[in-house]
Amino acid sequence: MSEHPPSMNSRERVLAALNRQPVDRTPLCNPTSVATVELMDLVDAPFPDANRKPELMARLAATGYTELGFDTIMPVFSIIQESAALGCKIQWEQKDNWPTVRMNEPIWTSPDDINVPADLCTHPDTRCVTDAIKILRKEYGDEVAVIGKTMGPWSLGYHCFGVEPFLLMSLDDPGKTKLCLDRMKEITVEYGLAQIEAGADALTLPDHATGDLVSGEYYERYLRDLHIEMAERLPVPIILHICGRTVDRMEYIAQTGMAAFHFDSKNTPMESMEIVKERIALVGNINNPETLFSKGPEVVREEVYRNLDAGVQLVGPECAIPLQTSIENLKEIPRAVRDWHAGYDR
Amino acid sequence: MALTCDIGTRIELVPMDSHCNDITVALYKQPPSDAPVYRIHTYSQHPDAQERIGSLSADMQVLGGMQQADDGLLRFPCGHAHQYAARRLFLDACKRDPSETAQAHPLQIHDKKSACDIAVDSLGDGQYCVRAEQGTQGVERRTATIARGLIRLGEMEGADDDANRLHFACGHAHDALIALLLRRAPNVRAAMREAEEMASRGQLVAPSAQN
Repeated sequence: MSEHPPSMNSRERVLAALNRQPVDRTPLCNPTSVATVELMDLVDAPFPDANRKPELMARLAATGYTELGFDTIMPVFSIIQESAALGCKIQWEQKDNWPTVRMNEPIWTSPDDINVPADLCTHPDTRCVTDAIKILRKEYGDEVAVIGKTMGPWSLGYHCFGVEPFLLMSLDDPGKTKLCLDRMKEITVEYGLAQIEAGADALTLPDHATGDLVSGEYYERYLRDLHIEMAERLPVPIILHICGRTVDRMEYIAQTGMAAFHFDSKNTPMESMEIVKERIALVGNINNPETLFSKGPEVVREEVYRNLDAGVQLVGPECAIPLQTSIENLKEIPRAVRDWHAGYDR
Repeated sequence: MALTCDIGTRIELVPMDSHCNDITVALYKQPPSDAPVYRIHTYSQHPDAQERIGSLSADMQVLGGMQQADDGLLRFPCGHAHQYAARRLFLDACKRDPSETAQAHPLQIHDKKSACDIAVDSLGDGQYCVRAEQGTQGVERRTATIARGLIRLGEMEGADDDANRLHFACGHAHDALIALLLRRAPNVRAAMREAEEMASRGQLVAPSAQN
């Protein structure tokens, strides 16, 4: 710690940490959304419009930096933008809830159905993201890291084939499943490249091979090589996001060449750091439903310290925060990081 | 420059106020001072937002017997927090149709389950007794159930020797507040469930966990 650089701006700090280089302090990173209903009011950018209009999306996302004190701005609040462009039916919901794909009305049933539409990145719901990134880049220049998001092929499989059909296919016909994943990965790459071209400094890549439904062995069989390919083809740091208990696949995840893994609080910081062994940075893992949503700042602080004590490279919420999370709790994350470093550096 | 401010601990939130353009309104408890005080707040810049805050403040005074302190803050006359009851009061104030004049509720309800009118007597020093106004079959159990509901909703204390008696630990009467809670007391579970459902909205779940 005594060898850290004298002073960095937010963008420099985040990019250095993602490359596992020295930083002046641990960056505050939100690879997923930190939007809340109160922040929507503050900047007059409520859901669902903030998921569909670039100016509103950029304005709401910027509050993560301007109001909460994170070192990143992450405008892709939802996980459905590209699925909307693919033709999935979307329930856009209201201000107080997340848009979702109607997965009980799947659009594909076989590999031959998979089609990357010509307007994938110009469809209004995907273009909204690239336009928002351009607005943020123009407004904030190089002072803060702007993070985009492109959904991985496993998540797209759930959205486009339905969760149950897709999982059953993976059990019954591994070859067909691999073919589907191979075709869907082009969606991930194409949309990721569009966001990089728009100015994204890094990309979150959620791929919901979650601990509750998919084993570590499954991850290794179906996704590890695909994720290696993503890391090679997308020329910015990639932050893989998988919810749930994932220690059984962290070894494989550490082999992908991705810059960071955004990990869930179901995995302790210490055990996770021991598995990944400096091969990939970790981002996380402040608990959402119990800590950020239901508890007070003192518990938030304890969790931040637990991550910092373990050496986690970037600190932030474990996943998209509940929309009713209090601003007080969110502001405690940067306060705790700064206090921890002040204590450490004394 | 940041626009959000430190205004205390948020203890209740209505994410979409259907009576005011779906703005978000919240109840904040101020940092400890000599007596706990509450602030109703919205970050909305909507032209009607501040009028709505004023209206909610007035309603909480009428419906729950709160008083206005400095800077538009609210407090209970006894100087105690009664936090759980304040949250319930805030939620009920937000639900109320603002086009109608707010009036304190009577200390009496009609209980459908026992087909009987149930009243609460204020005995002084913050003590109350729940009683049935008619003697229908099984009504004793209902009065005890309603007393338990009040204890839960108002964070009150029961009497060891009388299932119908309860009191506020502060030792002061809160008739308006009791009257408000009395409307929820016959079915506390429904009130809790409603609050939980509202709070659980807006939590993102992984696609694999969605219905």
